[in-house]
Amino acid sequence: MAAFEELVARHRDKIYARAYSMMRNEEEAIDLSQEAWVKGWQRLAQFQGDSSFGTWMTRIVINLCLDQLRKQKRQRTESIEAMDAESGGVERQMPVITVNPTAGLERGELRQRIDRALGQLSYEHRTVLVLHEFEEMEYKQIAKTMECSIGTVMSRLFYARRKLAALLADLKKLDSV
Amino acid sequence: MDYNAQLKLQAFLDGELPKAEASEMASLVTRDREAAALLEELRNTDKVLAGFEGGIELPESRDFFWSKVQREIQRLEAPAPKFAPASLLARWRRLLVPASALALVLVTVVVLIQPVGQFGRTSAADIETALADAGAFTYRDYEAGTTLVWLSYPADNEGAESDEMGTFE
Repeated sequence: MAAFEELVARHRDKIYARAYSMMRNEEEAIDLSQEAWVKGWQRLAQFQGDSSFGTWMTRIVINLCLDQLRKQKRQRTESIEAMDAESGGVERQMPVITVNPTAGLERGELRQRIDRALGQLSYEHRTVLVLHEFEEMEYKQIAKTMECSIGTVMSRLFYARRKLAALLADLKKLDSV
Repeated sequence: MDYNAQLKLQAFLDGELPKAEASEMASLVTRDREAAALLEELRNTDKVLAGFEGGIELPESRDFFWSKVQREIQRLEAPAPKFAPASLLARWRRLLVPASALALVLVTVVVLIQPVGQFGRTSAADIETALADAGAFTYRDYEAGTTLVWLSYPADNEGAESDEMGTFE
C-alpha cells in the first residue's frame, strides 16, 4: 500500500489534469481521478507494463470521464451548435486565423484563455482534441475509444481545432477592447 | 480547397497519411496559399495546446487526497458482514410463523367450504334457544322434522324441595 501511495503522489496531478481537461469541472475531476485511483488499485494485477504506469492510469481516467460524459449527454438536450457541428460544414466557412492569437501572452494568461475556449467546445469535440493533443492517440485509437468512425474523428478534430483558433482570436479581441 | 482536401491537410499535419499522399500534400502547400495558411493555423492551435495540462494541479493536499483514496479502497476490500448463526428459538420461530399462517389459512378454508348441514343448523337452533332462555334447550332434526324442547327451570326443583315456595300451595 505504501508503494501505491507513492505512485498516487507521483501521478496524481497528471491524472487530475486529464480529468479536468475532459470534464471542465473541478469537483467532478477530483471525484473521477479518485475513482480512477481506486480502480487502478483493484486492477493492479492486470498492469502488464506494456505502457508506462502513468499512461495506463490515464487510460483508466479517460474511460471513466467518457462514461460520465455520456451519462450527462443523455440527460441534457444537444445544443444547436453541437448539432450543426456534428452535421459538418460550420468549420468550412470559418476564416483562416493568420495571426497567432496567443502570441505575447504570459503563461498564466494563456492557460486561462485556452481554458475558456475549451469550455466552449462540445464534449465530443473537446474529447477528440484532448485525446489527440494531450494523449497523443492516433485517429484509429480515438475512434475505438469514442466508439465512432475514423471519418467522424477527423471531422470532429478539424472542427475542434478551427473553432478553438476562432475562439482564441475572439477572446483576444474582447480583451483588447 | 474542398472539405476532403482540408481533412487530408490535417491528416498530413498529424502524420496519418501514407507516404505518397503526404508528398502530394507537401507540394500542395508550397503552391497553394490557402492551404499553407490553413496548415499554419492548425499548427498554431497545436502549439498553443502543448503544455496546457502541465500547469494543472490537483487542488487537494497529498495526504488528504490519499486518505480519501485509501478509505475507499479499504471500504471496498472489507469483507461483507457475516450473519451470526441463528439460535434454536429463532429457528423454531422461523418455522412456526409460516406454519401458523398455513394452519390459519387451512382452518379458514375448511370453515368457509363446510356445507350448511344438519349439525350446523341444529347447533344454531340450540344456541338461539339458549340465548332466549337459559333454562330451555331445543334440539331440532330438520330431516326428521322433529323438534325437542327440554325445559330445566330451577324453580321446578326448588319448588319440589322447598315448602317455602308458595306457588304450588
